[in-house]
Amino acid sequence: MHKKYNICITLIFCGFIGIMMLGLIFLPKRDFSSVENRYLEQMPIFSFDKAMNGSYMEDFETFANDHISFRDTWVKLHATAELLCGKKENGGVYFSQDNTLLNRIDEPEIDRIQKNMGYINTFSQNCSVPVYFGLIPTSTHVWSYKLPDNAPTTNEHQWIQQCYEECDASTIDIADTLAGKSNEDIFYRTDHHWTTLGAYYGCNAILQALGKKTLSHKDYTPTTVSKNFYGTTWSSSGAWWINPDTIETWIPDENLHITSWFDTKPEQGKLYHDIYLSKKDQYSYFLGGNQPLCVIETNVSGDKLLAIRDSYADTLAPFLTERFSEIHLLDLRYNKLNVLDYVNENEIDTVLILYGFSSFISDRNLVFLSK
Amino acid sequence: MIFSSTLFLFVFLPLTLGIYYIVPRKGRNIVILLASLLFYFWGEQVYFAIMIFSTLVDFTHGLLVEHFLQKEKHKAAKAVVASSIILNLGILFFFKYWDFIAANLENIGFNFMPILNIHLPIGISFFTFQTMSYTIDVYRGDARAQRKIINFGTFVTLFPQLIAGPIIKYKNIGNQIDERIYSLDKFVSGINIFSIGLAKKVLLANNIGLLWETIKETPLTELTVVGVWIGVIAFSLQIYFDFSGYSDMAIGLGKMLGFEFLPNFNYPYISKSITEFWRRWHISLSTWFREYLYIPLGGNRCCKYKWIRNLFIVWSCTGLWHGASWNYLFWGLYFFTILLIEKLFLSKILYKIPTFFQHCYTIFLILISWTIFALEDTAQLIGFLKKMFFVGGASFVDTNTLYYLGQYLPLLCIGFAASTPIGKRFIKKATVLKPILLIIGLLLCTAYLVADTYNPFLYFRF
Repeated sequence: MHKKYNICITLIFCGFIGIMMLGLIFLPKRDFSSVENRYLEQMPIFSFDKAMNGSYMEDFETFANDHISFRDTWVKLHATAELLCGKKENGGVYFSQDNTLLNRIDEPEIDRIQKNMGYINTFSQNCSVPVYFGLIPTSTHVWSYKLPDNAPTTNEHQWIQQCYEECDASTIDIADTLAGKSNEDIFYRTDHHWTTLGAYYGCNAILQALGKKTLSHKDYTPTTVSKNFYGTTWSSSGAWWINPDTIETWIPDENLHITSWFDTKPEQGKLYHDIYLSKKDQYSYFLGGNQPLCVIETNVSGDKLLAIRDSYADTLAPFLTERFSEIHLLDLRYNKLNVLDYVNENEIDTVLILYGFSSFISDRNLVFLSK
Repeated sequence: MIFSSTLFLFVFLPLTLGIYYIVPRKGRNIVILLASLLFYFWGEQVYFAIMIFSTLVDFTHGLLVEHFLQKEKHKAAKAVVASSIILNLGILFFFKYWDFIAANLENIGFNFMPILNIHLPIGISFFTFQTMSYTIDVYRGDARAQRKIINFGTFVTLFPQLIAGPIIKYKNIGNQIDERIYSLDKFVSGINIFSIGLAKKVLLANNIGLLWETIKETPLTELTVVGVWIGVIAFSLQIYFDFSGYSDMAIGLGKMLGFEFLPNFNYPYISKSITEFWRRWHISLSTWFREYLYIPLGGNRCCKYKWIRNLFIVWSCTGLWHGASWNYLFWGLYFFTILLIEKLFLSKILYKIPTFFQHCYTIFLILISWTIFALEDTAQLIGFLKKMFFVGGASFVDTNTLYYLGQYLPLLCIGFAASTPIGKRFIKKATVLKPILLIIGLLLCTAYLVADTYNPFLYFRF
């Protein structure tokens, strides 16, 4: 009995560390982790200099960590253990009611917000056409009633109000509109973005502020294009037990001429890129993901709109095609051109600055508005 | 490289163990020496030389001491011991305390010591103490000088204890360096102790530490009385599981390689007095100070004045050994005061009160001591202490505090239970459970280690 027990313990321990070592050496290595959405560290090449300054060791440790066998499974096991321990939070994401994952939004830096508001004000003072500014609240804020008890989160309502009070441009009250619909599926449960439904309500808030005719949901038939979308909050939290989201489209991709600049060259774009539905990053289905500039020309007679935007506008763009003749979507993170010149050259009628709250409070590119 | 990393567990350890047991006994010290040198070099490239220097210095000093003793040149032998102490303490002083002293002198207007911004070489507090005590042991006749440089190098660099102790005394381990007994019993016991240590570190210390970090980083004005106490309790559990976990891993690894190290922790939080606490906490350090400082100074076998002086010196040194900062000195002196009071009269009174109150007394003083220990910033320390005792109008509790309390209560309760011998008593009766617990423990530790490096890059999708 005693000897058997000894052998058993030895086999478990040595077998485990041995198998993990062999796995690290012999199992095929991935270049890219789709769950983590990043490139993994490659086996570092030894050099004397790198060994002497310790960078070889650091790289090697990152390599070992990145390529540990069954990496994604370990992360899931960790999330499960945290849940069983009574934790309501993992990886900066709250396990909330109704199968919902909500990002934890920490107190923003007031300096950053004030700087960004300053850039917007400078821009709207110098711009010859009307400028509108809208902040899209996070799902954490709109769905705060789903958060775990006492979960710390910043008072977004107060921040947005403060921004709007300081703002020289006309402001769009998206937060209140969405708050009124907080019992509907206006955000993804596993991703920080708004859904097509959320974008529809957002679009109406924008159209109303701009004095345009709002849209009616009766005119559209939603089509479900995906039932297995796992978004960013799902990745961060490791909460594998959460059901996937569905992605809907309302507006067909018809009678549009879309030009996308994914890099420096223009190419023909489209509203929906089916190829992403078979990838992890399904949100990029809308317009094809991040791009410096995208121009949509429609058959509608109406104004030309320039939207200074982040990725929330990807879902919004289809709705905008119903009311504008041209929509220019400009992402300042990748496109540092002179926006005032762009407005003049393209005979833009209205400028819309539209950001999600969480990207706005950390954005460092709005400075290009004031140049 | 730390033990609680995937690199150590799944690359270094299996390779080292594999090679170690393939190589015949005679060559095993070389395997340990090379593995240990690589282990140290992995984390410390330039100051690697310091450790080699310290090793060579004490190797020759040990031989010289023995040489002079055999020729009955006691003065020369004494001089060699003094030289070893000066060199080791010199190294330690320079790397650990130079900048602290220089900065404090600058504050009061003296600029003759430039601030050098030296980083502390890994494990220097441990290996200087170890090599120093070796020379002393040889001088005292407690150990014979080691004649093989490989064996001596193995003693100094022995990777299980190299970077965080326990502090191994040559007189306890010299024989094992030359010759040790291997058995499956010992190996299995090593696996068990190592795994328990790993779980203490990875599952308890690291996670409870997150709670302490959160509270420590909360601005003082936003902290509540309950929040501060939870934070201090969290730190107390964190430091215990961190340190004792690391010691357990060291002892376990030692056993896997055939060594027997002395235990370093013995459930310190069940102590009934501070005197008892220090017999149970970091035993290898307190016995080191006892044997190589307190007793040589005269211990308590002298007049009361000298005895108090000796206690004072030992506890100042113990405090400063933990770090070059004022709070560590305060921390040492705090224990000096309590121990003195206990020795003078309090322990007699303590014996008479119910055990429960003895525990309360001890735990309370330990919590205060960790507050002093944890906060290097004196202003923050004072702010914390004020909050703990309702001084200066602190709110009692708020929603944030309740949230964190709710989140961590189960883990804290596991921590409380794991600080007592309850689990050990339970597991002794249930041998069948051990392999199952081992599997669960290994899987969970791996999951937590991997999740720690899980790093989704989501920014560009905003």
